[in-house]
Amino acid sequence: MPAPGAIAVREAQGTGLAGARPARGARGRGEGFAPAVPALALLLCCFALPVLALLLRSLLDPRPGLENYAALLATGTYYRVLANTFLVAGTVTAVTVLLGLPLAWFLAVAPAFWARLVFGIVVLSMWTNLLARTYAWMVLLQSTGVINRALIALGLVSAPLPLIDNLTGVTIGMVYIMLPFMVLSLRMPLAALDRETFRAAALCGASRWQAFWRVFLPLLMPGLASGALMIFVMALGYYITPSLLGGTSNMMLAELIAQLVQSLLQWGVAGAAAFVLLAITLSLYAVQVRLFGVRGAAGG
Amino acid sequence: MSAPFLSIARIAKSYAGTKAVDEVSLDIAEGEFVTFLGPSGSGKSTTLYIIAGFVEPSAGEVLLGGRSLLAVPPHQRGIGMVFQRYTLFPHLSVAENIAFPLRVRRRPRAEIADKVDEMLRLVRLEGMRGRRPGQLSGGQQQRVALARALAYDPRILLMDEPLSALDKKLREEIQGEIRRVHVETGVTVLYVTHDQEEALRLSDRIALFNHGRIEQVGDGRDLYERPASAFVAGFIGNSNFLPVRVVAAAGRHAVVSCPDGFELRGVRVAARPAGAEPTLMLRPERLWLAPGGAGEGIAGTVVDAAFLGDCIAYRVRTGWAQDLAVRTPLAALGGAPAGVGQEVRVCCEGRHAFLFAAL
Repeated sequence: MPAPGAIAVREAQGTGLAGARPARGARGRGEGFAPAVPALALLLCCFALPVLALLLRSLLDPRPGLENYAALLATGTYYRVLANTFLVAGTVTAVTVLLGLPLAWFLAVAPAFWARLVFGIVVLSMWTNLLARTYAWMVLLQSTGVINRALIALGLVSAPLPLIDNLTGVTIGMVYIMLPFMVLSLRMPLAALDRETFRAAALCGASRWQAFWRVFLPLLMPGLASGALMIFVMALGYYITPSLLGGTSNMMLAELIAQLVQSLLQWGVAGAAAFVLLAITLSLYAVQVRLFGVRGAAGG
Repeated sequence: MSAPFLSIARIAKSYAGTKAVDEVSLDIAEGEFVTFLGPSGSGKSTTLYIIAGFVEPSAGEVLLGGRSLLAVPPHQRGIGMVFQRYTLFPHLSVAENIAFPLRVRRRPRAEIADKVDEMLRLVRLEGMRGRRPGQLSGGQQQRVALARALAYDPRILLMDEPLSALDKKLREEIQGEIRRVHVETGVTVLYVTHDQEEALRLSDRIALFNHGRIEQVGDGRDLYERPASAFVAGFIGNSNFLPVRVVAAAGRHAVVSCPDGFELRGVRVAARPAGAEPTLMLRPERLWLAPGGAGEGIAGTVVDAAFLGDCIAYRVRTGWAQDLAVRTPLAALGGAPAGVGQEVRVCCEGRHAFLFAAL
C-alpha cells in the first residue's frame, strides 16, 4: 500500500520541518499572510480547538478544578511512565545522534554514486509505512525471529536475546524511524563545511581528534542540536512503536493516555496527561528556538 | 655553500596520467620570499600543497633543514598557511582564531595571551579581537588568517593566492602589509599567484611555472629582461612577437630580418629556444616611433593611439599586417603624439630585443 504510506510520511515530514522553521519566522515578516490562511484554518480547527477542548476537559471534567492534575501527580504510575518516556526519548536521541552523524558525514564525503544510493535508502525507509516497518521489526526481533535464530545458528548465543518488549526493542525501532530526520537536519550544515577549514586546522597543528572536537563539532552544533531536539520532542509523543515493541513495564506517556481514554474512560485525567506532555514539548521547543536564535545571531 | 633551508628535489605528481607537477626542483634560502607564478593548472598550487602535506607526490623529496618533510603529517610540519578561500573558524572570535594553533599545542595561558596581542599588533587589527570572522571584511579576514598562520612561529609560511578574492585596491594595500610582515618577522615565504604584478611587487625570487615545470627562476628583472623562453616573455609584461629570419648568429647575439626586410643587429638570444620558428620579442616600452619614410625601423601605420595618463599606447600595423604595441612615456614624447593613420617607423635597439630560436 504505497499511497497511504506516502501520506503518512508527508505528515511526519511536515511536523519535522515545522520544528526547524519558526526560528526564522519569529524574526517577523508581517506581510503575505493570505496564502497561509487555508493551512492556518486547518490547524485552528483540527489542532488548536481540540487542544483547547482537551485543556478545558482536564479542568472541568467531571468537576471544575485541578483535581485531574492532582490525581495524575498523586499516582506513582504516572511518574514511572513520565520517567520512562524521558528515558526512551533520551536513549533514542543519543543513539540516533551517534549513528546519524557518521552516516551524514559519509553522505557528505562519499563518491556521488554511493552517496546517492545510501541517501536513497535512507529516504526510502522514511517513505515506508510506519506500521509496516514496526511490524517488520516485531518479526525480526522476537525470540523466534530472524535475528535470534541467525545468532543461535551461528553459535554466537545459546539462548535468544531479549530484543523485544523492552527498552532495546523500542530503541531499535524508534532509532530506525528517527535516523532519516537526523541525517536530513545534518545535510545542510555538513554541505556548508569547507574542506579548507580543516586543512587550515591541520596546519595549525590540530590532530584529527582536536580538529573534530574543536572545529568540526562546534561548526555542526546548530544542526546537531536542532536535529536532536526535534527527535527528542518527536520521541516524547511516540505511540505505535513503543506500544508494539516495548513491554508493559516500560510504558510511554502516549500509551498511558490511550489507556486512560480507551480502557479507563478517564477523559479528564487523560486530558491532563496530554496537556502536561504538550507543555513539556512546548518548553523544549522554546529551548530549541532560543538556541537557534542565539546561534543564528552569532554565526550568521 | 651550506645545505639550503628548503630543498624541493625533483618532485612529481600525476593525476590520471596527466603530469600536474613534472620534476620540479628548487632550493630556497631561509628568510627568502619566493613566488610560484604561473597560469592556472601550471602545477604551482599542487607544489605548494605537496609542501603543506595535503598532496602526496608520486616522486621526489622535500627537505626542510636537511630533513625530509614528506613522512611528517601536516599537523606536525610546523608550517603556516594562508589559503585562497577564507578559512577562519567561524565559531571563534578573531583572538580565539589566532590562539587556536597555540591552544592545540597546549601552550601556557599567559604565553598565548601575549602572542595573540603581538600578532594583532603585527596585522594591525588590535580593535577587532572580539569580532567573529563573519563580521570582518575579506581583507581583514585574510590578515587574521596571516596572524593565525604566524602565531606559532612556523618555519615556512605558505600563501595560496590569498588575495585573489579581493578587489584591486584592497589587494595592493594587503600586498604592502604582507611585505611589511615579511620584513618584520623574517619568515620564509612561499607565495602562489597567477598575478605577475603581485609576484613582481612581493618577491625576492619568482619561479615561473608552466605545464607542471619551472620555466625560469630569478628575480623580477631577470624574468622581465632576460626571459629564458617565449613563454616567460609572454607571461611577464607585455610583448610583441615577430616571426623573423636569422641572418647571422655569433655566441649569444644574432642579426635578424623582419618580414619586411628590416634588419635588426645585436639581438640577444634567449637561453632556451621556443620551437622551430625563430621569434623576436619586443617590449612595447622599448619601442619608439620615428616619422615615416626611409630610415631605420619597421614601417607601419598608426591604427590606434590611446592616452593612458602616464603614457600613450599605440597600435601600429606593419606591412605584413601585424599589429605592434608601442608605449611611449609622456616624458619621452617630443612634440605632438602620432595620430591615427600616420605613417611611422617603429624603432628599437637590438640589445632590447630577444630572439627565441634554435640556432
